[in-house]
Amino acid sequence: MNIEHTYTFKGIPREVIWRTIQDKEVLQRALPGCKSFVEVAEDAFASELGISIGPVKGIFTGDVRQVDKNEPESYRLLVKGKGKPGEIDADANMFLEEIEEGTRLQCSAEVKLTGVLASVGQRVMSGVAKVVLGQFFKEIDKEAKQLV
Amino acid sequence: MTKVVGTRLKRKEDPKLITGHGSFADDIQLPGMLHAAVLRSPHAHAVIKKINVEEALKVPGVVAIYTGKDLEGKIGPVPTSWYVPDCDLKEAPQYPLAIDRVRYVGDGVALVIAEGRYAVKDAMYLIDVEYETLSPAVGQKESLKDNAPLVHDDIENNLAFHWKAGTVPEEVCEKAEASVKQSFYVQRVAPSPIETRAAIGRYNPGTGELTLWCTSQNPHIHRMVLSEVLDITEAKLRVISPDMGGGFGGKIGVYPDEALVGFAARDLCRPVKWIEERSEHFTAANFGRDEVIDVEIYGQKDGTITALRVTNTHNVGAYLSTMGPGVSTIDFGLMITGIYKIPYASCETFGVYTNTTPTDAYRGAGKPESTYQIERAIDLFAKEIGMDPVEIRRINMAQKEDFPFTNAQGLVYDSGDYEKPLTKALEMVDYQKFREEQKELRKRGKLVGIGFSTYVELCGFGPSKVAGGIGFQGGIWENATVRVHPRGSVTVYCGTSPHGQGHATTFGQIVSEKLGIPMDDIELVFSDTKSVSMGWGTYGSRSVAVGGSSVAIAADRVIDKAKKIAAHELEVSVEEIVFEEGIFSVKGSPSLQRTFKEIAKSANMAWNLPEGIEPSLEASSYFDPENFVYPFGTHIAVVEVDKETGQIELKRYVAVDDVGRVINPLTAEGQVHGGLAQGIGQALWEGIVYSKDGQNLTGTFMDYAMPKARFFPKFETAFTETLSPVNPIGAKGVGETGTTASTPAIMNAVMDALEPYGIKDIEMPLTPEKVWRAISESEGK
Repeated sequence: MNIEHTYTFKGIPREVIWRTIQDKEVLQRALPGCKSFVEVAEDAFASELGISIGPVKGIFTGDVRQVDKNEPESYRLLVKGKGKPGEIDADANMFLEEIEEGTRLQCSAEVKLTGVLASVGQRVMSGVAKVVLGQFFKEIDKEAKQLV
Repeated sequence: MTKVVGTRLKRKEDPKLITGHGSFADDIQLPGMLHAAVLRSPHAHAVIKKINVEEALKVPGVVAIYTGKDLEGKIGPVPTSWYVPDCDLKEAPQYPLAIDRVRYVGDGVALVIAEGRYAVKDAMYLIDVEYETLSPAVGQKESLKDNAPLVHDDIENNLAFHWKAGTVPEEVCEKAEASVKQSFYVQRVAPSPIETRAAIGRYNPGTGELTLWCTSQNPHIHRMVLSEVLDITEAKLRVISPDMGGGFGGKIGVYPDEALVGFAARDLCRPVKWIEERSEHFTAANFGRDEVIDVEIYGQKDGTITALRVTNTHNVGAYLSTMGPGVSTIDFGLMITGIYKIPYASCETFGVYTNTTPTDAYRGAGKPESTYQIERAIDLFAKEIGMDPVEIRRINMAQKEDFPFTNAQGLVYDSGDYEKPLTKALEMVDYQKFREEQKELRKRGKLVGIGFSTYVELCGFGPSKVAGGIGFQGGIWENATVRVHPRGSVTVYCGTSPHGQGHATTFGQIVSEKLGIPMDDIELVFSDTKSVSMGWGTYGSRSVAVGGSSVAIAADRVIDKAKKIAAHELEVSVEEIVFEEGIFSVKGSPSLQRTFKEIAKSANMAWNLPEGIEPSLEASSYFDPENFVYPFGTHIAVVEVDKETGQIELKRYVAVDDVGRVINPLTAEGQVHGGLAQGIGQALWEGIVYSKDGQNLTGTFMDYAMPKARFFPKFETAFTETLSPVNPIGAKGVGETGTTASTPAIMNAVMDALEPYGIKDIEMPLTPEKVWRAISESEGK
């Protein structure tokens, strides 16, 4: 399943956004339902997220890794999560682009699901992803504004 | 006493069921009973690296957790029961729990046993399984390719079997004036009985007897197969099918889960209950169909069909199910020419392993697919040469005088009169008037269409020596015992085991008419291997034709013996005794008589029996028919397609079925209605869809569109009666007519409606989106 999401950070320069989304503490605050977020190696984190949207409900434990960093333009975000409803394996390409209004962040992810997530969640998953990513970027927006 | 056979008696079973006095598997409560659940693979294809059950075992109430490795050497693989000969069949062993590799989403990985259902689930989630995922093989055509991932390493090209029957000489095709080639996909569907699967095991360590209650359409087959899997003698294994909420073929299969429950009950010496959840049913219960069917049909411009070439590529799933291999070969491949006198026909079937849930028989099992391709192909051929769909059918169908009719693949159809239901159905629908109205409506931009299906199916399994010849691992005869008690009531023991069909009613009617006693005096016993000597199950529309015949023969034998006793008491010869409506009387002296009850008493008391006659009044029959039965009929669908939305409205549905002798028109109509809902469901709504990763994307009733009653018009049904000569009742079987006939009738009707757009085929199910796209594309041309 492909998930595409775009968010525009109005009036915030690209460098600021980059810094914000690389900040471990910011990430922990911004990730919806984040219960723990521990750096286990450079750019690799062990996390616990509580998600409850429709059938996608429960605590997900997983590994988050950032690779192929090309500051301040792009990076790849690899997420492997596991919870009662099933497993998530996501490979997301994140692009930051300077535009007139500020910075546009484009996320393009290939997501593999198993279990109830696949059989029940697939239908609502892109909607769920939109909500989760929307909340996340809104929080990043707030955090980044304080740095401008 | 009035006639009983042929009357619309209300079902004997219903008072019990509708007042909540039925006993389904989940109603069974046993002292000390444990609960079980199976942890299933979330991956379509993966290596099991490690299973850690430590945390799970700490959950209070957990009694045992078994993995595939724990069971190695203790429990055998669950085999298929249909080794179709001459097709290089390769069976991969299916162990009840996967040992080192999972092969479909739903493959069992661990069995959890605990004191309560909550503890079972809590523990199940704490089992940590480390998988290394592998690429899955999903679609059957792709999985046959050289570079496809292998489901079983030693089975090349994932080819489970390769079967051929019949030949079509090349020159016949070359000489044909017209031909059509078309590929159809008869998609995977879920039988979806209202009750999911279940099993309860109880072991008595004192006697060594294992009792297994399970949702089986064929408890004796379960006993035979599980006796081998669990290494226990058949005499020590008792299988009982409790009341069941449907099966539709999905409960023919002997499943790993049932073996696991039996194993655990014996291992722990405590009763164990497993009730399948609905979402689990969508991953672990066998599905039906999933066949890609490529058809070539050849003929002349006068409408004569000269040849038919068919290739079926069948997705069998990860393992061979109980009946799986027979579906696309014997059941499908020998019936491809339907009711038509097509001189040459050939069928080539590829059975393909994939990383999906196994497929098995589903209501009709091969015949709906077979009927689908021929009834669609004949319509396409008619369109090609500009002929009316009814006319082409009349030109090619076997005539009354052709019976017993031998089809191109060599099957001998028992009896038939195809014109009879066709004429009746055409009258009911008023065909000429419809065509006139259709012209008018088309002028006004309305898309209405009519579709036909003139079908025949292979039913009433069957002659046992043929079963042996086609590799089926069972006999297909039936037995019945009619036992008359001292005060005149009767218990009838039957091999064939019901799960919603109403055997107690129809079989009761047969006995009531034979013995001249009221229905209330007749009790039927089924579904318990300890009470009934043998039985081969309820599937293939066989229960009345084979089991009912056995009941009729046993009842006749009771009468024969009773006549001898009556003659003795009335001091006349047996030849002078007449038995009518429950009274034995002397020819010419009707006042000299004995009632059935009086003879029942005499026989059981045995105070005064004739020389050489043993006490009691009881007879058994073991009936093995000489041939299959071939029900037939004409179904007609009338539809309207909304060209703006692609929505299809089913306006009328006419079904005229000839199922031979109808024992009870009410229950027979019920069978037709249910079959229609499922067959029309296949055409319009239902369909299991897998992602390319092998995940079932249609795992709930939100995504898998089961039809609702309001989707249908009032079905207009009728029967014609052409008796079968191969059984004493003359019955042909009614259970699968609906699914066999209706799917192509609907498709043909929709294609007729879409004719103004030149649309010839759309893949099932005909969702509004697909229909709308087809219309839009054709408008864009």
